[in-house]
Amino acid sequence: VTVFVAITLNFVLFRAVPGDAVSALRCRQCTAQFKEYQRHELGLDKSKWEQYRLYLADLAHGDLGNSLRSERPVRGELWEPIKNTVPMVALGYVFSIVFGTIAGVIAAWRRGTLVDKGSLYSGLGFYSMPPQWLGLMMVLFVASAIGLPTSGIKDPTLGILGDASTWDVLVDRLRHMVLPSLTIGLVLYGEYALIVRSAMLETLGEDYVLTARAKGLSNWAAVWRHGLRNALLPIVTLVALSLGFIIGGFITIEYVFSYPGIGLAVVEAMDQRDFPILQGAFLLVTFAVILMNLVADLLYFKLDPRVQS
Amino acid sequence: MRKRVLWLIAALSMVVAVAACGGGSDEGGGGTGKTDTSEGDVVKGGILRLGTIDYIDSLNPFNYIESQAYNAFIMLYPQLVQYREGDQGLEIEGDWAESWQTSADGKTWTFLLKSGTKWSDGKPMTADDAAWTINTIVKFASGPTAVAAPALTHVKEARAPDDTTLEIEYEAPVGNVLAQLEQLFIVPRHVWEPLAAGNGKGLKTHHPEKDIGSMVTGGAYTLKQYERKGTTVYIPDPNYWGEPSNAEAVALTYYTNSDSMIADMKEGNLDWVDQVPFNAVDVLKKDDSIVVNEVPGAETTNITWNSNPRKAKNRELLDPQVKKAVSMCVDRDKIIEVVFNGYAEKVESLVGHISPLENPNLGPLEYDCEAASQMLDDLGYAKGSDGIRVAPATTGKYAQPAHKMEYEIITPTSTDFNVNRSFEIVKEGFAQAGVKVTQKVGGDSTASYALETGDNCDPAKSTGYETFDIAMWDWVGYIDPDFMLSVVTKDQWCSWSDTGWDNPEYDKLYAQQGTTVDPDQRKEIVWEMQQMIYDNFLYTQLTNHVYIDAHRKEWDGFLTELNAYSKRYYTNPQRDSTTCSSGSPSRS
Repeated sequence: VTVFVAITLNFVLFRAVPGDAVSALRCRQCTAQFKEYQRHELGLDKSKWEQYRLYLADLAHGDLGNSLRSERPVRGELWEPIKNTVPMVALGYVFSIVFGTIAGVIAAWRRGTLVDKGSLYSGLGFYSMPPQWLGLMMVLFVASAIGLPTSGIKDPTLGILGDASTWDVLVDRLRHMVLPSLTIGLVLYGEYALIVRSAMLETLGEDYVLTARAKGLSNWAAVWRHGLRNALLPIVTLVALSLGFIIGGFITIEYVFSYPGIGLAVVEAMDQRDFPILQGAFLLVTFAVILMNLVADLLYFKLDPRVQS
Repeated sequence: MRKRVLWLIAALSMVVAVAACGGGSDEGGGGTGKTDTSEGDVVKGGILRLGTIDYIDSLNPFNYIESQAYNAFIMLYPQLVQYREGDQGLEIEGDWAESWQTSADGKTWTFLLKSGTKWSDGKPMTADDAAWTINTIVKFASGPTAVAAPALTHVKEARAPDDTTLEIEYEAPVGNVLAQLEQLFIVPRHVWEPLAAGNGKGLKTHHPEKDIGSMVTGGAYTLKQYERKGTTVYIPDPNYWGEPSNAEAVALTYYTNSDSMIADMKEGNLDWVDQVPFNAVDVLKKDDSIVVNEVPGAETTNITWNSNPRKAKNRELLDPQVKKAVSMCVDRDKIIEVVFNGYAEKVESLVGHISPLENPNLGPLEYDCEAASQMLDDLGYAKGSDGIRVAPATTGKYAQPAHKMEYEIITPTSTDFNVNRSFEIVKEGFAQAGVKVTQKVGGDSTASYALETGDNCDPAKSTGYETFDIAMWDWVGYIDPDFMLSVVTKDQWCSWSDTGWDNPEYDKLYAQQGTTVDPDQRKEIVWEMQQMIYDNFLYTQLTNHVYIDAHRKEWDGFLTELNAYSKRYYTNPQRDSTTCSSGSPSRS
């Protein structure tokens, strides 16, 4: 039911925006004659019900349709940007999870100290920063200082006048990923640091942690074995849910860094009223989020014996 | 002795300089590489790295939208003619065509083409390719080749009596044949003919970009790499008949964010930026390693007035005198300074400064709010106690009650200038005139245009353009004014028309200018049309952009004016013979 509702909403929402793929053609050579031909060719002259019926029929066959702009299959059009986005966003998530968790644990462990305050304020600061603004700061001040590229996914001159080795290509890709990934990582870092701190504080106040300490366990052992493990439940949920959004990318970050990922593809499709691309992209995100919700539920089941009982 | 030492130092310096130009280096590194200084001061070689905020959406000249794709076709395909810089601005010169002549009745044009020309696959490029391309476009003009068809308006057929002679026959004499043909790209018949079978749909659905290795081209370059949203790399085509590219390769990189592009340029990661944002110009000018070029641009900004004679409400805005008076309170100088950082000029005609047929006798519209207020008073629009004027009640078919002069101005979000700042200045001016305006952010171009035309837009029924009053937008003109003059015709309703104007007399003149061969006579008609647009105040013209590009000093020979008009735009830049390239990579 959720998926069907999502599919229908995908169809309705984008068509609620004024204009269509043909009225979005703003080029000198796009004559009225051309637009009329295009509208017919793309099936935009059919009624909305007919378009909806065709959309459902195609989906039932696993066909996401063709892009209205490039007239190529949506599946192929989305695959390339998704391939670009996933590693970049995943790298950002890894950064945020690792450093956010460490910062949250240490802040809770050292509650009230300067370390806690530093972690708390930095977390709040990054969490409240608009990602695109942080990205711009990276472009304007960080990139040149550390010699990293500010845009795109590869060096424009790599391999033009000679062959580039796989290693060169790999290093080049990583270099282009660093700044957008770091921006995502920093923005999400705040979220993780704050949630981990909060979960840890709750856990560290439990009687069993006090008991563990009374039994003579070291501070570290009490925090690690009894505190963090029990605080992991909300963190795992958060991570699993976040993973669902990896495929959706970060539109503003990709825009700032001219990163040819799924976020940028969605912006372009919106601008061009390319409904099949938008439907396909949002459907994928919907599926990914639903799937990861399921994974989170299953993990909960596994991690928390109380759920099983 | 002292002189000898100086000569020795000078000679050594030259040796060092030449060595610096010719020394090898790794690709992407900071050195230079293969150089060829055999042609005078021309320093060949190097990768010219160009940054842009427009991308190549397709390599099929029958199915493209973006202007960067148009640039690509100029570089990749032969054209009969192209533009060059002349004494009187841009003028037509031959590209593939060496010469041309027209018949006495003006209906037949004969082009003599360069001989011995070849496509990139080595097959001969002949007049037959050109004739086939033209006839195919005409054949499918209402379908798959509709995008290319405007360049061949009124063409009946094309013939190739021999390999180097092309005859184009028109149904009627056409006034701007060469300007139209400049926008025609010839494709290789042996590649495209199979795609034209049946209904010709294959011509449109063909995607040469899928396999650029087998793409057959016939221009100054072939493609080494194509990335839609990344970098496209042009390599000189050895078969090209014109002046060969000075650069060893041209790498065009797409940016979504112009700040990143400018940062990359300052860091030396780009050699050339083809469109500098107005707010970045001063920063670049302060950089000693960068040269900024300014030429008159094609883009104009305006206040667009709904001029549909069947408009239902606020019909006082159909009165040119009212529109003129209100416009006289808009401080265009302030817009130029605040919004465009000084990089714009005032303009009066819709065709803009880019067109040599711009009517110089229009206006100028004075900035004189006192006189404007007097005009409005005289017209009967008295100010209310709140300072807002009141339009009196009217009778008749379109009767409307007395009402305050309060309107919405639609502004799109997709402009390449700060339309919000521009609106604030306009609002300030209108307020002085006693007219209150509020901004209605229309969304992107498509959404904003939909607000203008309305949901019921239908040229056959003359419906649409009924609710909106005013918009603020821009137009990008062209050298030949035909297109800009067309946008206010009835034929462009629901397509390009943003005013909803419906004036049969004007439409007749538009058709007439299209078939007037005599340049002086055509100019008279074109000027008259501009005067009509001006007198009816379809637009209040605000500014004409200055087009700005910038390049690093390691390169020179840039012909900014020829952007989108000539192959020389890419072939001419060369590494500077005095500084050579310190940052641009070249072959090791």
